[in-house]
Amino acid sequence: MTTIRRFSCNDLLRFTSVNLDHLTETFNMSFYMTYLARWPDYFHVAEGPGNRVMGYIMGKVEGQGESWHGHVTAVTVSPEYRRQQLAKKLMNLLEDISDKIDKAYFVDLFVRASNTPAIKMYEKLGYIIYRRVLRYYSGEEDGLDMRKALSRDVEKKSVIPLKRPITPDELEYD
Amino acid sequence: MASKFGLAGGIPERRVRPIWDAIDSRQFKNALKLVTSLLSKYPKSPYALALKALIHERMGKTDEALAVCLDAKELLYKDDSSLMDDLTLSTLQIVLQRLDHLDLATSCYAHACGKFPNNLELMMGLFNCYVREYSFVKQQQTAIKMYKLAGEERFLLWAVCSIQLQVLCDKSGEKLLLLAEGLLKKHIAAHSMHEPEALMVYISLLEQQSKYNDGLEVLSGNLGSLLMIEVEKLRIQGRLLARANDYSAAVDVYKKILEVSPDDWECFLHYLGCLLEDDSIWKYFDNSDQIHPTKHTECKFSHLTEEMFDSRISSASDLVQKLQRDTENTNLRGPHLAEIEIEKRKLLFGKKNESTLLESLLQYFIKFGHLACYASDVEACLQVLSPNKKAEFVEMLVKSSDSVSASATKVLGQTTTILKVQELTGFIFELPLGEIEASAVKLAKLYCQNLPLSKDLDPQESMFGEELLSLISNMLVQLFWRTRDFGYLAEAIMVLELGLTIRGHVWQYKILLLHIYSYIGALPLAFERYKALDVKNILTETVSHHILRQMLESPMWVDLSNLLKDYLKFMDDHLRESADLTFLAYRHRNYSKVIEFVLFKQRLQHSNQYQAARVEASVLQLKQNADSIEEEERILENLKSGVELVELSNEVGSKTLRFNEDMLTRPWWTPCPEKNYLLGPFEEISYCRKENVNKDREVNMKRAIQRKSLLPRIMYLSIQCSSTALKESVEANGSGGDLKIYGELKVLLEEYTKKLGCSLSDAVEMITDISQGARTSESLGSDLVDWLTFAVFWNAWSLSSHEHWHVLNLLFERLIMDRIRSMGSSDMNSCYSDIQVLVQIITEPLAWHSLIIQACTRSSLPSGKKKKKPQHSDQLSSSPMSQAIKESIQCLWSTVQEVSNWLLSQMNNPEDDQVERFLSTLKRNEDTGGPGQVLGVLESFIASSEESEVGNRIFEALKSWSTADSARKTVVAQQRLLREFHQICESKSKLLETLKQQLSHV
Repeated sequence: MTTIRRFSCNDLLRFTSVNLDHLTETFNMSFYMTYLARWPDYFHVAEGPGNRVMGYIMGKVEGQGESWHGHVTAVTVSPEYRRQQLAKKLMNLLEDISDKIDKAYFVDLFVRASNTPAIKMYEKLGYIIYRRVLRYYSGEEDGLDMRKALSRDVEKKSVIPLKRPITPDELEYD
Repeated sequence: MASKFGLAGGIPERRVRPIWDAIDSRQFKNALKLVTSLLSKYPKSPYALALKALIHERMGKTDEALAVCLDAKELLYKDDSSLMDDLTLSTLQIVLQRLDHLDLATSCYAHACGKFPNNLELMMGLFNCYVREYSFVKQQQTAIKMYKLAGEERFLLWAVCSIQLQVLCDKSGEKLLLLAEGLLKKHIAAHSMHEPEALMVYISLLEQQSKYNDGLEVLSGNLGSLLMIEVEKLRIQGRLLARANDYSAAVDVYKKILEVSPDDWECFLHYLGCLLEDDSIWKYFDNSDQIHPTKHTECKFSHLTEEMFDSRISSASDLVQKLQRDTENTNLRGPHLAEIEIEKRKLLFGKKNESTLLESLLQYFIKFGHLACYASDVEACLQVLSPNKKAEFVEMLVKSSDSVSASATKVLGQTTTILKVQELTGFIFELPLGEIEASAVKLAKLYCQNLPLSKDLDPQESMFGEELLSLISNMLVQLFWRTRDFGYLAEAIMVLELGLTIRGHVWQYKILLLHIYSYIGALPLAFERYKALDVKNILTETVSHHILRQMLESPMWVDLSNLLKDYLKFMDDHLRESADLTFLAYRHRNYSKVIEFVLFKQRLQHSNQYQAARVEASVLQLKQNADSIEEEERILENLKSGVELVELSNEVGSKTLRFNEDMLTRPWWTPCPEKNYLLGPFEEISYCRKENVNKDREVNMKRAIQRKSLLPRIMYLSIQCSSTALKESVEANGSGGDLKIYGELKVLLEEYTKKLGCSLSDAVEMITDISQGARTSESLGSDLVDWLTFAVFWNAWSLSSHEHWHVLNLLFERLIMDRIRSMGSSDMNSCYSDIQVLVQIITEPLAWHSLIIQACTRSSLPSGKKKKKPQHSDQLSSSPMSQAIKESIQCLWSTVQEVSNWLLSQMNNPEDDQVERFLSTLKRNEDTGGPGQVLGVLESFIASSEESEVGNRIFEALKSWSTADSARKTVVAQQRLLREFHQICESKSKLLETLKQQLSHV
C-alpha cells in the first residue's frame, strides 16, 4: 500500500511522526533543500492510505571515474510501517536510479558501527562492509562504509573490503 | 576573466589567499591587518574594499561594513578599467545581503551588466540578485537576454519558471503562460529539448492552462523518452487523461501501473475515480497547499445510473481479484484494502452493503490486523459507517481475535489494533466506566505478560506492546474526564513515566505526558518532556504547537523566550536562505524545484504560528520589563513605537494564514491548542479528533494575532497620553494633549474591539456591564484577557473620566476575585486553568495598567536633578485624577495581594504532604474499583519480575522505578510554577507600593 514518489518540500511538514523517532535525524533546511535542488531523483517518499508518510530515502550521486556512485544519506521508516520491507523498496529504487539512469558503479552508505539491526538489514539487501571509518560520528563512534556493486562494476571491484580502517579525513567525499 | 591569469579582482591571487584563509579560520583581526596593507598597495581596488567590508561584517561592525561597501560601489561606478568582475560583485553581494541591503547589490550588478552587456557570468549574477529579491519579472527579462546571448536551453527554462512564478505568486495574467509556451515551442522546433526537467516544466505549463491534450501529445511524442522512469511517465499520462475527462483511456493507464506496482494505493484511487468518472480527487491537485491528509470521502456519483455504476464497480472488482491472485504470496496490503475501498464506494452510492463492507474489513483484519498500521489503513472507511455498525464492527473484531490461536506477537498486535479501532470510531466513549476500567487493567496485564518478548531486542528497536501504554493512558484520561477523579490522571502519569523508564525513546509517551502535565500545572515538567522530543529545524514549525500556548500563558518567561527565539531563528534563517537554494535549483536545472521552493517559502512566511510568535516575542519583552517605564519605553523604541507591528496586523488581515502544524500527533482530548475537552464536562463527543480543524481556526487566529500586534502601538500612544494627563488636568489652560495621538489611539482601539467582534461602543457597554455585575464574566468567553486589556487602554484614552477608572478597578477586582473564588481551597491539580488566566491578567492588563499609572505619576514627580517640587503640586495631589489614581493603585494592590495569598496558601503545604496527597489518590479500593488498579498490576509485576525473564536491561529499568519519585517530581514542578508566579505578584505589589508612596509625596 505504498505510493513511492519524489519527495517535495511540503513533505517536510508531513514527516513529523517519522522524524520524532529518535533514530531519524532532522537536518536543517538547507541540507534537505540542497538535496532536492541537486538530486531530486534520489529523494523519495513512501506514502500510505490517508496520505500518511510511511518513510523516505534521501541520497545523491557523486564521484569520478570508477568511484562514480550513488550514496544513501538517510533512509527511514515510521515504526507504524516497519517490518513490511519498505526500506528495501526504497533502497532498491535508489539503486535502480544509480544503476540505470546515472550508470554508477556502486551504491554506498554509512552506518553507526553499533547499529546492529540496520547493519543486518543492509547485509540482507546485499551490502558489504567495505571499510571502517574511525570516529566518523561526532568524533566518537566508528562508522561502517557499506557498499553494493551495480551492473557497471562487472568485476565487483568496488566492494572488495579494505583491510585497514581509515580516518574521516581520508574519505573522498563528505 | 581576471582570475584566469592568477588574478583575483585584479590583484594577484597569492596576496588575497592569506586574507581568505584568515577569514575562514575566523581570525578577523589578522584578516583586517592584511587587508589594510593590501589596500595601501591597491587603494582603488573595489575587490580589496569588498574584502574589508566582509571582514567588518563578520566582526559585527555593520555600520563600518556598509560604509566600506558604499565606497566600493562608488569606485565600481567610477572605475573605467575593466575591474568589475563577478568575484568582486559576488563578494560585495554576500556582505550586502547580510546587511539587509540586497537592493545595493542588485544595482551594482545591474550597473556592471549595463557596462558589459555580453558578459554571461555577470548576467547570471544579476539573475541571482533578482531571485533573492523575488522579482520574477526582472528574472524573466534577464533570463531572456541570456537565452538570446547564449541560446542555451537552461536560460529559456529560467525565463519560463520566472513566468510561471509571476502567474502563481503575483497573480499576473495567464496570458503570460501563452508567451512561455510560445517560446518553448519555438525552441523545441529549432533545437528539440534535452532535459527531463525541462519536459516536466513544459507539461506543467500546459497543465496550468488546462491544455491537457496538448500535454498528452508532447508526452507521447519524441520528447516523452526523456522521462526514464516508466511509472512516472504513466502517472503523468493518467493524470492528464483524467483531467481531460478522457476517463476510459485514463483507466487503462492506471491499470497498467497497477499491474507493475499492485501496491500503489494512490494509483488505485485514481483508477477507481476515473472508472466512476469522478473528478473530485483532482480538485486539490493544483492546490499545492494540500499538506493535511485528505480522506476522499467526497465522492461524486450523481452522473451515473445504477446500471453504469454496477458494471464499472464489477470491473474494478475483477481487477482487484486479479491483483490479489497475482500477489498471493507477497503480503501486499494494497489489493486487499482495494476491496474495502470498493465496498465503501458502493455504500456511498447508496447500496445496502454494510455487512459486506464489515466482512471485508474483518478479512483485512484477519490478514493484517496484527500490523501497527491496520487502524490508520482503514480509518477512512470507518468514517462512513453508521454508529451502530461501528459498534458491530468492534464486536466482530473482538470475537474474531479470540478465536485466533496465533503467536504471542500476533495476538498482541491484534489486541492493540482493536483498541485503536475503538478509539478511532469513538466507540470507547460510549462504554460504561467499569468496562473501560476493566479493559485498561486487562491491557496492563497484557503489557506485562509480553515484556519478555522484548528481552533480546536492541535498545534502539521499538518494543512489543509499546503502544498499549499510550492506549491505557488515553483510557485513564477519559475516566478522569468522566468522573473528575484525579487519581486516574495521576495513574496515567505513572503508566507513561514507567513506560519511559523502560524505554526512553518513545515520543508518544512524551507528548501525552506533556499534555497531562500542562493540564495540572506541572508545566516545568511538561517543558522538560517537550525538550526531550528534540524538536529542531522544521519540526519547530510542525511540533511546537504542543507546548507553545501553555508557555505563552505561563510565568516561565525564560524558557518561553528561548522557545520563541529558537523557533523564530529557524524561520528567519530559512526565509533568508531560501532564495539561495532556489538559485541552486536553477543552476542544477531542477526547474520544478524552483517553483516548489518559492511556494514553500511563502507557505512558511504566512504560517499562523510564525506571525503569532513574532508578535508574542515582542509582547514577552514588554511583559518582562513592565515594572519599569523607562525600560518599557526603550523596548517600545526598539519596536519602532509599535508601528511595524501595526503593519503586521494589516498584513495578516490581508493574507491567508497557513496552518503547517501536525495536529495528528496531539492527544484526543486536545485536538488543537485552543481546545481542551477536559476543561468542560463530559459529553460523548462525536469523535472529531482527526478532522481538519484549521478552517475554524483561521478566523480566530487572525483576529487574535491582529489584536496582539496592535498592542505595542496602543501602549506607546497610551503612555504618551498619560504622561501629560495629570498635569493637564489641573492646568487651566492645558492644551488638552496632542490631539493627533488621541485620535490615533481611538482608531486603534476601534480596530481592537472590531477584532474582539464588536464596535467600540458595544465594547464599552460590555465592560461597564460586567464591572457592575449586570453581566457575568463568562460573557467575555475565552478572550477575557483581551477584553480587560481593552478596558485598560480605553481608560488610558480617557484618563480624566473618574468613572472609567472606577469601571476598570471593578473589572480587575471582579475578574480576579471570580477566579480566586472558583479555585477556593482546591489544589493545582484541578484549577490550573484558573491560574493560567490569573497569570495572564496580572502579567498583561494589570501590568499595562500599572504602566499607565507610572506614566501618570512620573510627570508629577520632581525631576531628578533639581529636586524641586513641580508647579501645582498641591493641586496635583488633590486633583480628582490623582485621587482616581490613588484609588486604582489601592485596588490593584489589594487584588494582587489576594492572589499572592492564595498562592502562599498553596506553597506553604509541605512538599511531603503534597506528595502524600498525590499518592493517596492512587490508593485503590479492591471492592469498588476506581483509580490505582492499573498501577497495581504494573507494580506487582515489577515486584515479581525476574531478570532471566525480561532480560537485564528491562529488569534494571523496572527495579529503578519509583512511583513516589514520580509523584514528587510532579509536585516539585507544580511548586516551581507557583513560585515563579508568586514572584511576579510580589514584584507587582512592590511596584504598586512604590507608586503609592510616590503619589503621597507629591
